[in-house]
Parts: sequence; C-alpha cells; structure tokens
Amino acid sequence: MKKLIELDINDRIYEVAIDARDLLIDVIRNKVGLTGSKKGCGDGDCGACTVLIDGKPELSCIKLAIASQGKKITTIEGLVQEGGQLHPIQQAYVDHGAVQCGFCTPGMILSSKALLDRNPDPTEHYIKHELSGNICRCTGYKRIIEAVEAAAKVWSKEGVQ
Amino acid sequence: MEKKVLKSKWNLTPEGWNLEGVPSSQDEKRYTQVGRSVPRIDGPIKVKGEAIYTGDMTLPGMVYGKIKRSTYAHAIIKKIDCCKALKLPGVLAVLTGDEAPNKWGIVPQAANETVLAVGKVRFYGEGVAAVAALDEETAEAALELIEVEYEPLPVLLDPFQSMERSQEVLIHEDSKGNIMHAGEQVYGDVDKAFAECEYVLEREFHTNYPQHGFLEPHSALASYDTQNGQLHLWASSQIPHYLHRQMSIVLEIPMNKIRVTLPTIGGGFGGKGEAAPSEFVACLLSRKVGRPVKVVYDRQEVFYTNKGRHPCHMKVKMGLDKDGYIQAVDFDNTLDKGAYSGWGIVVLFYTASMIHLPYKVPNARFRGRSVYTNKPSTGAMRGLGGVQPRWALECLMDEMAEMMGISPYELKLKNAIESGHTCINNMFVPHSEFKKCLETAVKKSGFLEKQGKLPFGKGIGMAGGYYITGTAYTLYQNYKPHTTVMIRVDTEGGVTLLCAAAEIGQGCNTVMAQMVAEELGIQYEDVHVQSGDTEIGAFDLGSFASRLTYAAGAAIKMACVEINQSLKETAAGMLGVRADQLVIKNHEIYSMYEIKKRISWEKAIEVYTSINGTLVGMGNFSPPRRKGIDIISGNRVQGANIGHSPTFGFSSQVHEVEVDVETGRIYVKKVTEAGDCGTPVNPMCVDGQVEGSIMFNIGACLYEDQKLDASGKHLNPNFHDYKTPTTMEMPEMDTNIVESYDHSAPFGVKETGEGAVQPTFPALTNAIYDAIGVRFYTLPITPEMVLKALKDKKEGEL
Amino acid sequence: MFLNHFEYFAPKTPAETLELVACLGSKAKILAGGTDLMVVMKAKAISPDYLIDINGVEEFKGIFCEQGKGAVIGTNTKLAEIQFSEAIQAKYPALAYAAGEVGSSQVRQMASLGGNSCNASPAAETPTPLVAMDAKVVLSSILGERELPLEEFILGVRVLDLAEGEMLTKFVLPEPKLKSACRYAYMGRRDAMEIDCVNMAVTIELEDDGEKVKNIKLVMGSVYPRPLVSKEVTALLVGQKLSDQLIEKAAEAAQGEAKPIDDIRASAEYRREIVKVLARRLIKEAYTDAKGV
Ligand SMILES: Cc1cc2nc3c(=O)[nH]c(=O)nc-3n(C[C@H](O)[C@H](O)[C@H](O)COP(=O)(O)OP(=O)(O)OC[C@H]3O[C@@H](n4cnc5c(N)ncnc54)[C@H](O)[C@@H]3O)c2cc1C
Ligand code: FES
Ligand code: FES
Repeated sequence: MKKLIELDINDRIYEVAIDARDLLIDVIRNKVGLTGSKKGCGDGDCGACTVLIDGKPELSCIKLAIASQGKKITTIEGLVQEGGQLHPIQQAYVDHGAVQCGFCTPGMILSSKALLDRNPDPTEHYIKHELSGNICRCTGYKRIIEAVEAAAKVWSKEGVQ
Repeated sequence: MEKKVLKSKWNLTPEGWNLEGVPSSQDEKRYTQVGRSVPRIDGPIKVKGEAIYTGDMTLPGMVYGKIKRSTYAHAIIKKIDCCKALKLPGVLAVLTGDEAPNKWGIVPQAANETVLAVGKVRFYGEGVAAVAALDEETAEAALELIEVEYEPLPVLLDPFQSMERSQEVLIHEDSKGNIMHAGEQVYGDVDKAFAECEYVLEREFHTNYPQHGFLEPHSALASYDTQNGQLHLWASSQIPHYLHRQMSIVLEIPMNKIRVTLPTIGGGFGGKGEAAPSEFVACLLSRKVGRPVKVVYDRQEVFYTNKGRHPCHMKVKMGLDKDGYIQAVDFDNTLDKGAYSGWGIVVLFYTASMIHLPYKVPNARFRGRSVYTNKPSTGAMRGLGGVQPRWALECLMDEMAEMMGISPYELKLKNAIESGHTCINNMFVPHSEFKKCLETAVKKSGFLEKQGKLPFGKGIGMAGGYYITGTAYTLYQNYKPHTTVMIRVDTEGGVTLLCAAAEIGQGCNTVMAQMVAEELGIQYEDVHVQSGDTEIGAFDLGSFASRLTYAAGAAIKMACVEINQSLKETAAGMLGVRADQLVIKNHEIYSMYEIKKRISWEKAIEVYTSINGTLVGMGNFSPPRRKGIDIISGNRVQGANIGHSPTFGFSSQVHEVEVDVETGRIYVKKVTEAGDCGTPVNPMCVDGQVEGSIMFNIGACLYEDQKLDASGKHLNPNFHDYKTPTTMEMPEMDTNIVESYDHSAPFGVKETGEGAVQPTFPALTNAIYDAIGVRFYTLPITPEMVLKALKDKKEGEL
Repeated sequence: MFLNHFEYFAPKTPAETLELVACLGSKAKILAGGTDLMVVMKAKAISPDYLIDINGVEEFKGIFCEQGKGAVIGTNTKLAEIQFSEAIQAKYPALAYAAGEVGSSQVRQMASLGGNSCNASPAAETPTPLVAMDAKVVLSSILGERELPLEEFILGVRVLDLAEGEMLTKFVLPEPKLKSACRYAYMGRRDAMEIDCVNMAVTIELEDDGEKVKNIKLVMGSVYPRPLVSKEVTALLVGQKLSDQLIEKAAEAAQGEAKPIDDIRASAEYRREIVKVLARRLIKEAYTDAKGV
C-alpha cells in the first residue's frame, strides 16, 4: 500500500507516493528526479549518496524515505547559490582539480559542507577524519583536501552559509 | 565571469621558465593553451550534480532489466524454468543465454564469452537469465521465480591446480590443460649471458586479485526502434566503438544500425574497457519488448562480474655483470585468467614486453601461460600487464643492488635507458627523461641520505616505471586509423570537436579542448567538445592503454591544419597578403611581416562561411607499425608486437613508510614522485592522475584483495570488506613533472594515466624492506604477514 | 536490492513506543539509526513485519551529565553527538574517542549508542569502553524498568538479555572514580570505515598512594562472542605497582583468555597477537593517565 508523504528537499516540498520500504536515495533520484545524489554501493560504505538532513550528513541509501518526513533535506542541487553561483566549496573543488569522474563529488561536497559547518577552521586531520566515509577512486584525495582547506579560508572570510 | 588563472608551478612565472632553460618549443610564449592548469570544462556541472550518468537517465516508456546470477562457480545448467517469472504481473520478457549465443570478447581471435551462460556457468555470479519488467521491484521479484537446475562441477580457483586437474575438468572444452594461451619469447642467448654474469638472482613473486572499484557501477540503457531496426545504447563504458562492434556481433545487426553514446562516466580504470553483460542484456531485452530498457548493476554485481587485475605467479631471474649492467632477464609468468579470455592474450604478452624497459636488457627470455580458473575473468586494470612484472623486477633489482653493495638508485640509473633506445625486441623509444625522473624523485625525497639509515620500523624505497601510449591494437584485425576527429567551425556553433573519445573522468575533454584551441589560435573555453558518441564522432579505439592524449593530439593537429589553411586563404584575400605569411594567434590572423595587416579570427570565419558554409577539418591517427622481431637474428617473435608504442611515459617514485612492528600495520607517510609525461597539456590534470594512481596502487599493495571461499563464492563483494584506501590512508604526496618534450609526439605529449601506477608496488615494498629488513614476495602485504615475517626473522636470528 | 515489505510505526512518546513493542513482539524491530538494521534487511538476513522508528521520541535522546553524578545517555543519542560532546570528552574521553571511530561521519550521524550495543556484534566499538566504565543499561517495558550491567546484557553474537516487550532506553554511566582513567584502542586494516579485528578498553583505578592499582578492568572486543572482561588481568594487577614485566604478564594473560576466530578480516592468531599489544599499550597508557589525574 503506497502512502503519500511530503519531503522537504532543498526548501521545496515534494509530495510523493511511497512504500514504507522505499529508501531515500531511490525516492530522491527516481520519484523526485534529483539525480545529483549517486548510488555507489547501496550499503553505506562509499558515501556517494550522502545528503544533509537538518544540516547533518546522512547516507540516503540506508535511510527510509518515510523516516525523512518533516526534516530539511539538502541534496547537491540545493547548494547552488543565488543567481546560479557556485557555493564556495563547489568553486574550490573546480579550481583545485578535486573533480575527476565526478561520481563521488556530490557526496564528497556535502560531507565537506557538513564538516565546515561544524568546524570552519579545520585541521587537515579533522578533514580527513570526517571525509573518510566518502570513497574516491580517481583523485587520490589530495586535491579534495586542498579544496576543503581553500573553501575554509573563504568561509572564515565571508562567513558563507 | 571573471577568468581565474590558477597558480601552479607551470603557469606561475613565465620568467622562471626561461631561467630554468625551458626549450623554446615548450615556451609559454609559444603555447598559450597547452601547458596551462585550466580547470576542467566539466567541473561545474559535476559539482552541481547536474552531470548525467547513465543511471540518471530515463526515457519515455522505459522499463527495467535485471540479471539472475549463478550460485555455483562451475556447473552444468540442466534446466532454466522461467514460466513462473513470466506469469508475474509486470514482467514483460525473460532472456536466456541460448537466445544470444554469439561469442564476444575484446580480442577477436579469442572471443569466448556469451551474454548469459550457455549450457554451463564458469564463475560464481555469472548471469544465467534476465528479465525485463515495468519496474525494478517486479524485475527483482521475478528473478526469484526463475528456477535453475545445476549439476555442480569441480571448482578450480588456482591456476596451478587448474592445470594439474585439467584431465579431470576442463573449464572450456577447447582449451587443453585449461590453458588459454601459452607463449615464449627468446631474444639473444640468455643462458650464455647468465653463465658470464657476476651476480645472478632468482626470485618468485605472487600478486593479488584486486579490482577497479570505480564508483559508478556498470549501467546501460538501450532503446531499440522496432520500426527501423535502429539500436541506441547509452552505457558507462570506456570503449564506445568496441562496444558497438560487439553489439553488432551478438545482436546480429549491422554496425550502421547501432549507435553508442556515453553519458558522463563514473570512472573506469580498465574495468569498463570491455563490453559488459549489462549492455547486451539491455539491448537484447529492448529489442524483445520494443521499449527502452535500463540495467544498472548493484555493487555486488560489479564484484561478481569484475575484470580485475590478473594474479600473477612470476619467477624472475636477473643477471648483472661485475659492474652492475644487466646482461639477462629470464621471466616466467603464470597468469590467473579467471573464467573467460577477454584481454587475455594481450595481457600475457604485455607482461612479456615489460622486461625490456625502462632498463637496458640485452638478453631476455619470457615464458608464460594464462590459465583459466572459475573466478570472474581478469582483464585490464590500470597499468595493464605492467604492474605485476614491474613489481617483481624493481624489487629484484633492489635486492641485487644490496648484493652488490650499491644503492638501488645507482643500479637503476646505471641501467636506465635514454632517448633513442631500441630494445632487443625492437621496441623503439624515441624519447625518455627516465633518468631525470629517477634523479628528481631521489633528490627531492632525500633518498640517499635516508636509505639504510633510518631507525628500525622506518624505511624508504624507490622504483622506476614506464608505460605505453598511442599504441597499435590489432583488435579490429585491421590497421585503420585508431582515432579520427572532426572539427567543425562556423558562425553559429563556433568551434566544435566531434569525436568518439571516452571521457571517463581522466579529463580528456578538457585536454582535447586545450589542444584544439592551441592549434586554432583561440581559447580553450571557445571549444565545444562532443565526444563519446559513435554517431557524432568517427572511429576511436577507446580510452585505455593511456592512448588518448597522444592519439587525439595527433588527429587534432591534422584536422586543424586544414582549418587553418582555409582561414588563412580567406584572410589572405581580405588582407591582400600571401596566405603562407599569416599567423593565427589569440583570435587574430595577421601577417608576420606587416603586423598592421590583421583581422579578427571571427571575421575570417564569417567571411569563409558566407561563401563556403561550415568549415570542417578531419584528422586521424594511425600508430606506426613496428614489427616484433629479435633485432639480432631478425626473427619474428610471437606476440612481440604487443608492447610497442610510438612513445613511452616514464616515472619514478620514492615511498617512505613507518611500520608498527608490534601490530604489523604499515603507514605510508610520504610519496615523492617524478614523471616524464612529455608536455603536460594540463599540469593540474597530470598531477591529479598521478595522485590518483599512487593511491590506487597503495590500495592494491596493502589492502585490496578479492577473496573467494572454496566453492568460488565471494567473501568480500562490497566496500566494507574489500578495503579501498580512504582519506585516512592518504600520505603526503609530492608529485613532480620533469621537463620533457618529445619531438616525435604531437605537442610533445606522452602519457600519465597508467605509468604512474607502475612504481608504487615496488617502491612501497622496498621501503618496507628498508624499515624492517624483510622482503615480501606476496601481495597484498598485510599486517599479519608483517608480524609473521618479523617473528620468523627473529627466530632465524636466534 | 529492496527491503521486504513491513509496516512502519513512528511513535512520539516512550509510552507509545513501549505499547508498540509490547504488542508487536518479536515480529517487530526497533529502528534507531538503521545503519545495521537496513544493511541486514537489504541482505535479506532478516525480514521483520514491523518497524518501530524511535527517532521521533525526544526522551530517548540526549546526554545528561552532572558533576559528580556520572551520566545518563539516551539510547538513541547519535554517536556524533557523543563524539563531539564536551561533557563526554571531559569525563569519558575513551567513549568519545570510540564513538568518533565508528564507521564514517555519516554513519556516526545516523547511528545510535543503543543500536551499537543492541546490534550485539562482537566487533562493535562502543560496548567495549562502556563495559570498562561499568555502564549499566536500562531496559523498559510497559511493565516497568530494570537495570543491568551492559556486560550482562550482551550475551553473544546478536543475542541480548532482552525479554519480549522490552527495549533498551538508556545507559547509566557511573561517575569515574578519583585517580582513575579509561583508555580505548582498536586495530583494523585501515584507519577509517573499519570493522575492528580487535578492540579493547582498560579502566584503572589507583589507591590513594597514586601508585598501586586498586582496581583494573580490561575489556576485549572482537575476540569473543561478546565483550570479554578479563579476570586474570584484574587478579594479577590489583594491589600492585605496575612495572613493565608485570604489564607484559598481564598482557599475556589477556591474550590467553581471548577466544578469537578466523575470518576474512583477520586470523585468530593475529587477533591474539594484537590482544597482547593493545593490552600492553592500554594498561600503560591508562596507568600513566590515572597517575596524572
Ligand atoms: C558503513 C558502516 C560502517 C560501520 N562501521 C562501524 C564501526 O566502525 N564500528 C561499529 O561498532 N559499528 C559500525 N557499523 C555498524 C553500526 O553503524 C553501529 O553498530 C551502530 O551503532 C548501530 O546503531 P543504529 O542506531 O544505526 O542501529 P540500528 O541499525 O537502528 O539497530 C541495530 C539493531 O539494534 C536494535 N535496536 C536499536 N535500538 C534498540 C533499542 N533501543 N532497544 C532494542 N533494540 C534496539 C535494532 O532493532 C537492530 O536490530 C557500521 C555500519 C555501517 C553501515
Ligand atoms: S551508495 Fe550510499 S554509501 Fe554508497
Ligand atoms: S572523482 Fe571519480 S570517484 Fe572521485
């Protein structure tokens, strides 16, 4: 029996008919149509499906959609700034060559945002520790860490939200 | 938008360049687009999550396909009953192997794989049937309803066991001894050379069974138009044209009725360098149901069907004269092929070719065999055929340097090849800065000051490596140009590069845009790249063997000649000067003698198109053919074409490790790398490739290994227990691009995508030796092995 | 990979939850972070008919830490909250550290402290330090509550002393003793996203002299079906001033008690080796720490 629920994604309310068993990643991608969140493993191991729920990073592949009602969900599509500007983290990823195939990128950027939200002046160790749930096979991580460090600088200067 | 020029060591100070004595050919004044660390052109859409990967696509009326997988690693299929599945509401069709029995495989001579198993399964998780259903849930439920009856056969998981028991069990009826292929290559008089050597050492090495772990699982979306018989396939692939050809063979439809399009690709590393059953199944089901069908693997399926790196069991013997010059190498390799041939023969002979470079080897012998086992087929994985022998040879040389009482650096430098070297197997190296790579990495890391002098538990190790680029493949049994590009220029579209190259994340679209812009005298942002489509772009072999920058570079140069000539002629008429006196640069066409005579590039285009319409340039690249012969006897040697390449990239790495001698944990602290990639078209992309390569093989050296139980079932088909490196495992990385320009190559380019993985295993293994005095001959080097080795060592010392 | 169909309940209060737990019985599973539950359900290892999502119940969350009165932690307190909690970092650093080493930042954001214990996996991070700290669990049902030491709650691999109709609602942590310290460490192949091959926690309490051991509790994870409390280490070291030799002896004793298994993550032999190493290191560290307090 499908149920109609409301999901607040990127400040817009989506009404979707779901089964209790539906996972958030599938609902976001297939029912809402926001395909920026990726499914790399489906088991919580790679971080590609990371979304922010009430600002905190969670794995949408092991999260029930029905349990995500009433929360603010942010996907990568929700990060773009007014007028289509890139978010400083996104810009830093582009500038520092932190993107190759891009499949890990949406999840990686959201995890980066969450860690900077908690600590806008992170050490390298802290960045590594908090990003360790996002696997990237292409970059070797170095440029990703650099991008987050660079974004942190912009952050502390401009106080981005 | 304001243009940001990134600070990097390459575009920081043009003055600095000249001070360091950069060749004029590489002078920034000459190259304005090539050699710049510009951000990737696909960066913004990727960070916004707007890039479309195959799995993100939907088409009107699209349905879903799923594959039923074998629960045996080796068994005869007695019966497949799909009746119940077909009756499930929402199921549109089922498919079994005998409906598409034509064999496919990347090497046409050895193709032996079918879309779904026919008569017999040869590895755990092999597809046995497929369904198409209205939605994924139904498709999944239908799989449960398909009943398959198996008669289990003995499971062979080890190549030696497989050869031994071949009287009793054959994995493929037509492969005697369970050997897919065996080969021998002999150059010079190896035995005589050994007899005269001062130092001879022989060791056995065994590599592990890692797989690519690209983050985007295989995905395919096929749409077959029942009315006109056209098939359109979107797939996460590195090889649109190969795929295209395999589709034609399996579906028995002409190539001109098939179109393959690559959406954004989430990594490949060789794993998407062959066709995948997902792609065939999507096409076959689409033809059957007359609707678009999408097949997306889950991670487990990627593990079941992966075509990871061949485990190699190698015996290597090397002989040096009293001064340390290599006199002979004898190399015996048994490769674990897994269930199907795939890239098999090519990999076999690649491992053979790897003994000839980057050191001078006057006498060499190779004996090898690739042996079938009941595992997922092994195939191409970053640095195909190179990584395993490189590991063995570089470790062996480390040991021999110790035998001689000299530094491994000295031994390697002494034997390193230089530009213009011809190997005994007739491989020709037009250009090499390998020595510079060795020097740079050693110097920057302080290797000589540290090696052998660090406290117990800390160590440093070095290794060199090389890889091919732009090489010839006879996979089409035809020497047609391996890459063709078309550049279209007009007032509407500006400049568009049309080709079938595969952007798999390595950055080729950006690099190609830079090369086009360089040749046409415009900016890389002005170039639109339409790649990865067999209908838009003409033939391209695919993204593998680090061939793209070289091949596309050559083809682009050729295409631009035509365009520039037409534009110069147009401008010449307008300016009243001779066309051959014109220069095109920075969006302007001007006379080199009368610089006031100039018009804008756009104006010339406008005039040209108003008379002739769109301006088109075509270019292609055919790799030079070199025979694989013994250059002393002149005899042709079997398989010895493989490994030849118009030019080669080189690199060197120094790894510094700390070993926790109580727990056996190995911590890679720092990696210093120096690479000769020719001209770095985009240094930032080069560094990214190198850093990625280093982490990739640190993973395979220390953590990654696919494990199967005795029945051939996977024990770790997930990222939980198949451990790729995380951010926490990242060492400090210092990557250096050595100055290099290959005059034989377009823009002086070579490769960097796979060369940089080569030195990682041996540099790390040698560093571990330096730290704890134990040499490892088996991968991956686990903490358990370290502890055990330390214990054995202690007992030995008592 | 779809989950089985189930009926989903999202109670808002403890009473509602307990009511549901009582009437749905063993056909229901509690859903906290789901980081274990969703994974095993995907693998079809279990297929519950009902899920009771406790994330809407505020009372099950939160850290209540009062000076001198230990701490009470709600079952559904997220590991990230524990990792970053200043109060926990100050009073129970070993727990904050262990919580911060579970999985990844995303996992810690979702996973609950209660789930980590209720999952009853021998490799779990937090039960080890919790047992070392003498944590108790509070089990509630519509009939009332009972309190039980955590080590008596986890009985084996996926086996709990949890009656039908009961659920875990909170952890009660005693105030750390004066002159005491607790330390935690783990060993795996990587430094993140790791299922430990061995983990261990040691609490040491010193006599007033600040030298002699008044009490020591060494707990091992991943080497036994449940957190294993060493008897021999306690017997060997209580009343002693610690020396390297004594510590070595204790470490060997712990090694002897461990009953690890071979699996894909590590061999039993390696695990036993690591038990000794971790025991030696942790006893030393905790001893030094306790002396410093
Ligand atoms: C990628 C990944 C990495 C991981 N890494 C680690 C790791 O490093 N270390 C580690 O220890 N674990 C790890 N885990 C496992 C898991 O995250 C932890 O065990 C976590 O603490 C479980 O908490 P949860 O709230 O998600 O539990 P859930 O999955 O919600 O529940 C787990 C089980 O406990 C039951 N349960 C939950 N709460 C209660 C309650 N109050 N009363 C009774 N029963 C209850 C549930 O019904 C279920 O059976 C990892 C998991 C993933 C996906
Ligand atoms: S897809 Fe969710 S963690 Fe990999
Ligand atoms: S960019 Fe490809 S996985 Fe990270």
